[in-house]
Amino acid sequence: MEYKIEKMKAPGRGEVEILGATYEEGLPVGEEVGQWRQKLDSREDKLKYLQNGERYWYSDDWYGSEKRKNPA
Amino acid sequence: MAEAEQKSFDQGSNDLIEKAIKDEANTAFDRADTMKPCPIGSVGSCCKNCGMGPCRVPLPRGKEETPEEKLKRRGICGATAETIAARNFIRMIAGGASAHSDHGRGVAELFIAAAKGEAPGYEIRDEQKLLQLALDWGVEIGDRSNSEIAVEIGEKALEEFGRQEGEIITMRKAPLKRQEVWRTQGVAPRGIDREVVEIMHRTHIGVDQDYQNLLKQGVRTAIADGWGGSMIATELQDILFGTPAPILGKANLGVLKEDEVNIIIHGHEPLLSEMIVAVSREPEMVELAKSKGAKGINLAGMCCTANEILMRHGVGIAGNFLQQELAIVTGAVDAMVVDVQCIFQSIATVAECYHTKIITTSPKAKIPGAVHIEFDEHNALKSAREIVKAAVENFPNRKGNVEIPDNETDQIAGFSHETINYLLGGLFRSSYRPLNDNIINGRIRGVAGVVGCNNARYKHNEAHIAMVKELIKNDVLVITTGCNAIACAEAGLLLPEAAAEFAGEGLASVCEAVGIPPVLHMGSCVDNSRILIAATAMVKDGGLGDDISDLPVAGAAPEWMSEKAISIGQYFVASGVFTVFGVTWPTLGSKEVTDFLFKEMEDMYGGMWGFEEDPIKAAHMMIDHIDKKRKALGIDKARERVLYDMEMRRELT
Repeated sequence: MEYKIEKMKAPGRGEVEILGATYEEGLPVGEEVGQWRQKLDSREDKLKYLQNGERYWYSDDWYGSEKRKNPA
Repeated sequence: MAEAEQKSFDQGSNDLIEKAIKDEANTAFDRADTMKPCPIGSVGSCCKNCGMGPCRVPLPRGKEETPEEKLKRRGICGATAETIAARNFIRMIAGGASAHSDHGRGVAELFIAAAKGEAPGYEIRDEQKLLQLALDWGVEIGDRSNSEIAVEIGEKALEEFGRQEGEIITMRKAPLKRQEVWRTQGVAPRGIDREVVEIMHRTHIGVDQDYQNLLKQGVRTAIADGWGGSMIATELQDILFGTPAPILGKANLGVLKEDEVNIIIHGHEPLLSEMIVAVSREPEMVELAKSKGAKGINLAGMCCTANEILMRHGVGIAGNFLQQELAIVTGAVDAMVVDVQCIFQSIATVAECYHTKIITTSPKAKIPGAVHIEFDEHNALKSAREIVKAAVENFPNRKGNVEIPDNETDQIAGFSHETINYLLGGLFRSSYRPLNDNIINGRIRGVAGVVGCNNARYKHNEAHIAMVKELIKNDVLVITTGCNAIACAEAGLLLPEAAAEFAGEGLASVCEAVGIPPVLHMGSCVDNSRILIAATAMVKDGGLGDDISDLPVAGAAPEWMSEKAISIGQYFVASGVFTVFGVTWPTLGSKEVTDFLFKEMEDMYGGMWGFEEDPIKAAHMMIDHIDKKRKALGIDKARERVLYDMEMRRELT
């Protein structure tokens, strides 16, 4: 990656060089941007995601409000 | 002009109302001026359920009713004002639940056809959601193909409509405590259709004449809608068309383009509109448009179909319910394609003043004066091509009186439950923990679901925007669907930048950290089921009680008008949410029924109804309720922050 150097004024030090933005600029245009669910390829990955990411419903070892180790 | 300025919060819409007057196009705004609502029917005091009536049982005006007067306030069959108000109220629920659930049934039927390969153009786009539903409904996954799993899921979905006993399987997603509340109260739905039919039976002359018993069946039916028919629609649509993820789109009538063929897709079901999106991008269609003198084909949505195709494709939204006629008044709409729900019959007469072709597509919803091109799910692309071609060929017929407002705004939509979970925790630890933590630490005061329609009896979009701004100013995160979401988009509230401008300091800091708007667009009106799931995830994550009724949350529909809104409100109340409606309230003719809905339901379900016309006062009723819940959870006061050193930590163990 090519880094951009920007010049800025620093208090008491005049103009200094700093590292510029390293992110890609732009609006989130297009249907594909933000499509995070396509990051999971195989059925196994998707099932694992459900057990972990949607653990509230699909994990056996998750302890939330309804599965306390010490019931209220 | 001064008069028209009062009709809509949006200047572009006001300009078009003026244009409609000049063009002699009669709109809902005119009709609302000339026809006032019936004062007896609007408060639920008119019964027309048999041929002896209609019987009117209005409250005496300007004085307290004596017991003797109350005894006389009955229909010919003896039905009291309470029975009549409750009957009317739950018939509204039946209507609303039917609309959402018949939508769900249609999706299930297409889903099965697609899974069997009998509906070309449709496919399983979200395998993960398919697997999720298989886990929910006990469908074996193993090494089976997606099609095999999908056929079984589709068949199970259809069974829920005709189930005769037991409980609908979709209610198992609710918090465990909530399910027990429903069982204890005897309102766990058996089957979706059964509950609706039972309302129609009970409200027939001479059947159920106990208003509390009538309202109980209303609750049961509403749950069958939100946790049943609507949820089935949302889940299966996600599998077929993809679970929404953040996407940039445009909003308001300014999305129409003078030099392109404008097709507006209006209604509620995404089944056909998904195909129209695909067909409008086909090179042959674009070439045909160019051959007619247009630069291309511009699709725009209206009402909840708009929300569906925005969430999945970023297609611009031309407007909400009260803007449907105004879109035609621009003179730039070459075709308005409609399916079901919230479609004015008058679009056909408004279209006569311009060149717009109104195309109906559902056998369930025809309009005299419109062209009917029936949507055939087994040959959807052919139907879609016929419709788009009709629009393109109508482009040269424009009459020259084109006026498109310059009021286009940006918006970010696509906040499904799954995406919120992902955004808050990332792919490897998706979580509602950051939301709950920020509610507990007070940066976020609570969460409000603001949804619902427009109502021609109220200035278009004003209450929506006023309420939402007041809520976010007070650090309440707003989640939205339906016409409220469109109103918020038009006001620029669905952008991350809106947090810095309109939200309180605490909410703004969280929005900035996560990169989300202070108002999250969760979809169409059937997608209110997404709000139920998000609330359930908040409960299950922990720290905010054991049930939705413990959460610092509230709901509202400040400009409601449809029966669907009443059904939605009732399933939110039955799920434990305080829910405030604006504009009008349909049981004010009976103090007992109104008190039961507004007060006694809280003891039964933990949630209750409220009514307030002023959106700012209504927002503060919601905030007061959120504060009440915060106090009950013991998170109402800022706690002293103590930095623990190692010695203090050792003492803890």
